[in-house]
Amino acid sequence: MLVQFQIIIGMLSLVLLLITFELIRKERLREEYSILWLFTGGVTLIFSLFPEFFLSTFITRITGLYYLSAVVVIAFIFLLVIVLHFSVVISKLTDRNKELAQRHALLKLEFDELKKQVLFIRNPS
Amino acid sequence: MKPAFNLLVIIPAYNEEGSVGKVVGEVKDHLPEAVVLVVNDGSVDLTSEKANAAGAKVLELPYNLGIGGAMQAGYKYALEKGYDIAIQVDGDGQHDPKEILKLLKMLEEKEVDMVIGSRFIGVSEFRSSMMRRLGISVFSKVISLIVGQRITDPTSGFRAVGRKAIQLFSSKYPQDYPEPEVLVLLHKCGFKMAETPVGMNRRYSGESSITKIRSVYYMVKVLLAIFIDCFKRGPLLKTGG
Repeated sequence: MLVQFQIIIGMLSLVLLLITFELIRKERLREEYSILWLFTGGVTLIFSLFPEFFLSTFITRITGLYYLSAVVVIAFIFLLVIVLHFSVVISKLTDRNKELAQRHALLKLEFDELKKQVLFIRNPS
Repeated sequence: MKPAFNLLVIIPAYNEEGSVGKVVGEVKDHLPEAVVLVVNDGSVDLTSEKANAAGAKVLELPYNLGIGGAMQAGYKYALEKGYDIAIQVDGDGQHDPKEILKLLKMLEEKEVDMVIGSRFIGVSEFRSSMMRRLGISVFSKVISLIVGQRITDPTSGFRAVGRKAIQLFSSKYPQDYPEPEVLVLLHKCGFKMAETPVGMNRRYSGESSITKIRSVYYMVKVLLAIFIDCFKRGPLLKTGG
């Protein structure tokens, strides 16, 4: 029973690590956002490699959770952290986006007025 | 003769083609020396064209930022061009431009950083729905308590601000519910404010952005935002400049 879970979770974390790595390599994911994903994949991989050490002796004793539920709970906590992190990132981007839109509007007004002046100087009629 | 102060009237407008031209015209009639800046918050109608035709400068945002982002863009313009006083007037025509003079007088006499045109001081013909008045009176009590001074109309968007506040707003302006939140921000920065009674028109066109069904939800959200504002760190102000 445990071995099957071990294999499934091990494969899943390997796939997660590979996908993350591939995304970074192709520059579709920036390093700053990838660390949490790599960490999640790494931790679950270690869990699948050494389940006895990590769970039977340590976490299970503290939390009273069985192997699979422990892994699911841990993965869930990581996902929560990742999603919260994303909300922070989105907020930052929204703020920068606002600044950019305002700057764009200010420059456009300036530009239009200058253009009008130049046209007037060249062509006063 | 050059006027003692150079004035900028900021009019945020989102799809207000029906009223913005008239508002700009009236402001220019009452304050011929002021520059009128319409901030077009990503309208899809002819707001910019109507404003331009009426003789206003138009700051065109590439997409809708909401009233907070639009107002801040106006304040950034005011700061960049070195205006001493900025006045906010709604683009829907509910504010009577001849009342701007009252705001200016108050700003000068009381030496405050912001003057709010209040619909609820003295005799006012302003009538609105029960829900709305109830909501405004709750905001008024909460805000008054926080800022330690009586504010009768915290949601009024009819305001005049001085140089110091222009500087503050261009670096930091609340985005979600700017009218009441700005009061908390000003208080935190140690700025002074005052209110003066103003008359209001009925809206020339358009609907209030707050419908009846959503008003309770809106109230809760604004109160929450104000509550959180109380715990925010005040911005670091650059002195001079």
